Amino acid sequence: MTRLLRGVPRRHLIAGVVLLALLVYPVINPWQPYPQGVMLLAFLLAVQASSWNIISGYAGYISLGHSMFLGLGSYTAAIIALHTGVNPMWVAPLGGVVAVLVAVVFGSVVLRTRGHAFVIITIALLLSAQIVATNWKSLTNGSDGITLELPFWSSDFQNIPFYYAFLGLLGLTVLFSAWIARTKFGTGLIAIREDEGKAASIGVNTTLFKILGYAASSFFIGVAGGFYAYFQTFLNPVGAFAILGSVLIVLSALVGGRGTLYGPVLGAFIVQLVNEGATVFGGGSSTRVLLLGAILVLVVLFLPAGLLPTIEAAWRRRHPVRTEYTDQTSVLSGTPATVVRERADAFTRDDDTAEGPLLELRGVTKRFGGLTAVDGADLTVEKGSITALIGPNGSGKTTLFNLVTGTMTADEGTVTFAGKRIDKLSPWSRGHLGLGRTFQVTRLFKDMSVLQNVVAPLPDGKLSTMLAGAVSGAEAARARELLDIVGLGRFAGQRAGDLSYGQQKLVELAQVLMLEPKLILLDEPAGGVNPSLMGRLTEVIRELNRNGVTFLVVEHNIPMVLELCDPVVVFARGKAIASGPPDRIREDPVVLDAYLGDDWRPAPAAVEGGLDAHAQ
Amino acid sequence: MTQLGQALVLGVLIGGIYALMASGLTLIFGVLHIINIAQGAFLILAATFTWWMWRAVGIDPILAAVVTTPLMFGLGWVTYRFVVSRIRGQAASMSVLLTFGLALVIEGLLNVVVGNKFRSATPSYFEESFKVGPILLPKAQAYGFLAAVAVLGVLYLILTRTWTGRAIRATSQNPSAAALVGIGAAGTAALAFALGSASAGVGGSILSVLYPFFPASHYDWISRLLGIVVLGGMGSLPGALTGALILGIAETLTATYGGLQWATLVFYLVIMAVLLVRPQGLFGARLREDMTA
Repeated sequence: MTRLLRGVPRRHLIAGVVLLALLVYPVINPWQPYPQGVMLLAFLLAVQASSWNIISGYAGYISLGHSMFLGLGSYTAAIIALHTGVNPMWVAPLGGVVAVLVAVVFGSVVLRTRGHAFVIITIALLLSAQIVATNWKSLTNGSDGITLELPFWSSDFQNIPFYYAFLGLLGLTVLFSAWIARTKFGTGLIAIREDEGKAASIGVNTTLFKILGYAASSFFIGVAGGFYAYFQTFLNPVGAFAILGSVLIVLSALVGGRGTLYGPVLGAFIVQLVNEGATVFGGGSSTRVLLLGAILVLVVLFLPAGLLPTIEAAWRRRHPVRTEYTDQTSVLSGTPATVVRERADAFTRDDDTAEGPLLELRGVTKRFGGLTAVDGADLTVEKGSITALIGPNGSGKTTLFNLVTGTMTADEGTVTFAGKRIDKLSPWSRGHLGLGRTFQVTRLFKDMSVLQNVVAPLPDGKLSTMLAGAVSGAEAARARELLDIVGLGRFAGQRAGDLSYGQQKLVELAQVLMLEPKLILLDEPAGGVNPSLMGRLTEVIRELNRNGVTFLVVEHNIPMVLELCDPVVVFARGKAIASGPPDRIREDPVVLDAYLGDDWRPAPAAVEGGLDAHAQ
Repeated sequence: MTQLGQALVLGVLIGGIYALMASGLTLIFGVLHIINIAQGAFLILAATFTWWMWRAVGIDPILAAVVTTPLMFGLGWVTYRFVVSRIRGQAASMSVLLTFGLALVIEGLLNVVVGNKFRSATPSYFEESFKVGPILLPKAQAYGFLAAVAVLGVLYLILTRTWTGRAIRATSQNPSAAALVGIGAAGTAALAFALGSASAGVGGSILSVLYPFFPASHYDWISRLLGIVVLGGMGSLPGALTGALILGIAETLTATYGGLQWATLVFYLVIMAVLLVRPQGLFGARLREDMTA
């Protein structure tokens, strides 16, 4: 038994003990309605804060109107009870369903775009719900509100049934949140918080993830609403859709630790106690607004991570784990190439039988206002090649990458990948087809572990992939193997942002491999990487290529390009001006004029007067 | 027909005033990439102060903008320097939470100091109107509109004709390049925040005459203003103007033909409809982001 417990992380043990204590509390101390009342409201707040944490903590999309779902749940249960005579508790789950429906409908309008529209709509939704509840009198009884019957149980039991109902809901909510955090869905939500554009490029359907995250964050609050209405036996629009409720939710999650599992729960207990104290000692709701506002400001300024992460960080500082940040030994010795080859083989798709080039661009054009960055460009990448794209800065190479991967959409022209038009597809759909990319400046999810970074990509859009475990199981095992391929297996548990720049580039490559790509676009892979890691990188690229992965590489390191790539395409002023094998490109006068310059001009056959290339 | 014309004219007048209020928000967003949730509370604060001056000294509420504007400019500058600037460089969500907290603090202070009840400044011309043909122009709305347009004009001139304005625009377009040519990012940011807040000074003074308000009204206002900004496209000044006009007209049309209580709801529906077709808003542009680390 003790050995079994030792394997459980400490925080789960503490949570279990607290849960046990809360379970027995009404039994050993049944005649204390006041503390029980305070506790059950804390449970309710914890349910809401934990739920809020899914969309606003994991995914980072702040909702300032989350108490709306409690009101929706309350009204749903109360209206059904009013019209059918059924006890509102029995129909409380329907409140959850209504909450999810509202979240999905409005989420799918607002969450398609990135950024701030969401926060605004959440306030607007809360206020709108209040307006509707006030004015749709036939349904909601308007501002007079709805009065419900008293609880059916004997008054001897006081609020103890509610106590257990809310505690049970809290347990379910935390389990739900923990489950999400362990799936690839949860990893995707965190990826969205860290870098949404990058998340889309590794196959995360950001729109769907956000909508589902919003829906997931609404369900248990909606269910709790039915219980809450019954507990209060009365509800009206102003009370049910109060913005102060949202303030408490936000504050709870923030105080305890946004994005952690137990933080919002801990925060809810603290905030509920403060709130209760303010009501008892500090008078009316006006001082409460001031107090809560001040706490919110102070927490954002001085405890932005929240209590739990801050305590955890302090613990880590006192109990440091020794880590090694350099990987010189393994780089210098080098993994035998055969091992790499075997493994790389397992991660590539050979299901494509389509004839013709793998990637084909025809007449692609992209304008930024008056500037035409890509001007009717044609480009062909043959299957199995390592094609280089070189050219002066500003010639449109990165923009072309963005057009191919879907970060931007072209104004004109077509992009065909493996025989399929892709220029209207979303970035993640292109990822699912087998198109992966790295970025000019690495864009890892810095606050995630290295392993999580590699687990995060989704090679397809299937629900089963989304809900696959990210912490253990097949996906995690695969990610570990990929990390071994790039030689960074020992860093799996590290925070990605702590790795050196070159190592981050390798992790980003492993991340792309998780997509099982047919084509990988590398944007300046050599930039900022030291020579030994560079060697490792080219080795990995070669091995993968031998196993059927095609590469398109943008690079300024010309010796590397000429050695590694064939063919080489030269870009200038938004279109290809030359292409061919490296030897021909090296001597092409057009290329020398536009990009390579005189340093690369072949020395004249008879060098008279000892002039070398540099002296010209 | 007259009724329609009347509603449209009123809509434009109110839209102009909304435009002024939203311009501050969009200016702050454009330069700092911060959504100032406290902008609504700034408005109510300025309105309350205006109301107090009108009661105590008898100053005309719209003229009181001459006092409230510099006051709010100062408050904005201080708020930025001592509070908001501390979280520069952190995730955008933190600024939302911070300014939300600031809004609550202002609401709470107003509650404690002046009490939680409805107020409205009612100068002598409050219920008078100009008559232009068959259409009535309520004087309060007309004066408010003129003040709003004048301030918007001044704001436009500052942004386009002065060195400070060019610095602000430069910083909004490319902060690091602006810093390279000698424009201090911190100072410019504080100026932009202060200018944005100053627009809430004028806006609040106008608001005190046109709409009854109480401390918690700021939720309604911020949600309306943010709606305008989202509708127009975040950070776009022409977008904010268009969004404001659409909101003003949608409101007066709904109030005329439906009922005042549905006016706000109709506006939110308009936003939803626009976002359905153009997720980035009417004038919003998708930013290039591949170069950011």
